[in-house]
Amino acid sequence: MPAQRIERLRRFLPVATLAVLVLIVGALQPEFLNPDTLLDLASDTAVLFVLASGVSFVILTGGIDLSIQAMASLASVIVALTVDRLGYASFVAAVAAGALSGWLGGLAHVRLKIPSFVATLAVGGVLAGTALVVSHQHSITLGATQRAYIGWITGPWLGIPREVIIGALLLFFADTVQRRTPFGRYIAAIGAGEAAAYASGVKVGRQKVVAFVISGAFAAFAGVMLAGRLASGSPTLANEQLLPAIAAVVVGGTAITGGVGSIWRTLVGALIISVVRTGMTFIGVDIFAQEILFGAVLVFAVAVTIDRSKIPVVK
Amino acid sequence: MNGAALPVLALRHVGKRFPGVQALRDVTMELRPGEVVGLVGENGAGKSTLMRILAGVYQPDDGEILLSGRPIRLAGAADAMRHGIGMVFQEQSLLLNLSVGENIYLGNEAAFTRYGRIEWHALYAAAARQLAKVEVGVDARTRTADLDFATRQMVELAKALTLEEAASGHLVILLDEPTSVLEQTEINILFARVRALKSRAAFIFVSHRLDEVLALSDRVYVMKDGAVVAELPAAGADVRHLHSLMVGRDLRAEYYRESLQRPPRTDVVLAAESLGRAGAYRDVSFALHAGEVLGIAGVIGSGREEVTRTIAGFLPHDAGRLTVFGQERRFSSPAEAVDCGIGYLPRERRTEGLVLFLSVAANITLASLGRLRRHFLLDPAAEARVARDWVARLGVRTPGIDAICLNLSGGNQQKVVLAKWLNARAKILILDHPTRGLDVGAKEEVYELIRSVTGEGIAVLLTSDTMEETIGLSHRIIVMRDGVVTHRADAPPGGKPTQLDLIEHMV
Repeated sequence: MPAQRIERLRRFLPVATLAVLVLIVGALQPEFLNPDTLLDLASDTAVLFVLASGVSFVILTGGIDLSIQAMASLASVIVALTVDRLGYASFVAAVAAGALSGWLGGLAHVRLKIPSFVATLAVGGVLAGTALVVSHQHSITLGATQRAYIGWITGPWLGIPREVIIGALLLFFADTVQRRTPFGRYIAAIGAGEAAAYASGVKVGRQKVVAFVISGAFAAFAGVMLAGRLASGSPTLANEQLLPAIAAVVVGGTAITGGVGSIWRTLVGALIISVVRTGMTFIGVDIFAQEILFGAVLVFAVAVTIDRSKIPVVK
Repeated sequence: MNGAALPVLALRHVGKRFPGVQALRDVTMELRPGEVVGLVGENGAGKSTLMRILAGVYQPDDGEILLSGRPIRLAGAADAMRHGIGMVFQEQSLLLNLSVGENIYLGNEAAFTRYGRIEWHALYAAAARQLAKVEVGVDARTRTADLDFATRQMVELAKALTLEEAASGHLVILLDEPTSVLEQTEINILFARVRALKSRAAFIFVSHRLDEVLALSDRVYVMKDGAVVAELPAAGADVRHLHSLMVGRDLRAEYYRESLQRPPRTDVVLAAESLGRAGAYRDVSFALHAGEVLGIAGVIGSGREEVTRTIAGFLPHDAGRLTVFGQERRFSSPAEAVDCGIGYLPRERRTEGLVLFLSVAANITLASLGRLRRHFLLDPAAEARVARDWVARLGVRTPGIDAICLNLSGGNQQKVVLAKWLNARAKILILDHPTRGLDVGAKEEVYELIRSVTGEGIAVLLTSDTMEETIGLSHRIIVMRDGVVTHRADAPPGGKPTQLDLIEHMV
């Protein structure tokens, strides 16, 4: 049946796209394919992937979290300001702040029945403002003693960049939560058919809030990683990360309308975005001009991944 | 009867199939100028499918539609309207945030547009003329939300009459259950208007209130199982006769597996005492026993739907007591009802019953994932085992447990919903129109399953599309009208009440 073939095509399209992109960039710039460049690419992808896998949970429920970029920046500021006093606990504090902001955004969405894009847009504004205020609008560079605490984030370990190892651990964790826990099943059910999930006794509101908590905590973790890589915290550190993160989720084949998707797909999507980014830099495209392409890619990916016959009205 | 006049609208051997169901077969009927034709039948008889075909929503698979003698194809609702077919539906199509005039000309503003802007004066003047046709004395600039329901219905009628100017030829107006939410005086006004408008249009009137159909119509078509089974002049017909034509089939006891109906146990699993919910029902009392099927009969608006939804956890009661397994309960969400061992098989199978885009296995385990958890993680092997087991036990015909439910037939979807609750070990099943949209064979399978689960001690609260089904399946029946219980009847095998016994308490 052609419908099934289209469905199968849809599923393998992201992986095929990734392979083709790697080959194209490799053909243009053979040095791209040497292992060191690829490892660099992987470590550059890690932050984007962590950001994207968190928001994947919310997107699976059919919602969206627009506060992740602001949360990541704020987390970097929290680390930079507190690592002196708290040491390693500053990382925990940052991630806890992420979970808290996700919880508040989730409650605003579920309890006050505000559409998630509005609720998280507002939360994002609050977080961005907070980061600017507490940092006095400055980027805070970590001193030598403080840098001792960020060694676990950067540099190679047994020849592998630590970002890649952290990313892999989070991949394993997020994938397990998504595929193997009742929560993972519930959010897929909510995304694919909220009314049926509700009638089946699923505590829909609670599951959604948990998804936002995960998204916030992952965003904060991404901010911690950024702070570690750049040895600084800044209220604008993660700017221009929101669009690529959501693009990564959708390019990987997770439906923006919810119900269908996985963390592995988000990984593929994040790699695609990363390869495109690196490829463009290789070719010499202005870094700000890249946003133009990500915007276009997002629209294209949503258009390809949604089966419009199943969705009569899109708002 | 004016036999010489050319029918305004005629259907010739019209048929319509849906996956697994023949919704209409060989339907032939005609509508003459200035005539009101009544269309009656039980739910599932094919009335709404027929109306949707006439409204251009569905296209027939067989047969043809003739408009003033010419065959036509209606490609959509807008196309039907262009051909002079208007509709007044039970679910009103008016947008409440717009004014009455805006609603009347919604989608047809072009007639009043000059240089890209709407000339509101012209539009409202025209709307006022339409309102005058139905003798509604409201200002066309009134916000629709500020009108009462009956007036809105008149506005709908006025909107349909705008086709007079737009369409060539004779006007046909479909009235689909227009009275179901109106008071008697409002109904009288609506009927008076319809009679007065007969010179302008011919009407097809669908209603489950048979007395109204007889009062308003000139002729009546009776439908059953997708076919027209009788056509008769309204004058001289009576409700009883019409009803027996609708039901048609001789009541075959075995259709409902009556020989498998066992006496219920004595233990009460659920009891309602003077249960009430403002605006829906009041003072409703009954006891449900293990192994019993308790049917609730009543028409739309009787309150039985709301009682069902209360027990399923959707609409909390605000008066009286609800006791489930000896504990007083008040459910504020379905999750709480599920925790008490209640499973709800909704009439909206495709939206509330199943997550259509999840697999058969995921749907079967959705209400009981907690049991498949080992060290926080789901055990995929155990899930597959459970799903395969239920698929085999209930005879679900599916390509596999990983197939998504979207592609299953209605009957098999219903079995998956049932499997979900049986796997969740529900002790009380609320069956809300369990055989809606199923064909005869699938219905019988569902009946058999109902007998089999009640045999194991599960209690069933049943609301059904047809009286026949309610009577055939139930041990006991309560009848509701206008939010209160009006009658109670025992229905043991061999001693079932007749439909007429119950219907007098329903309407």
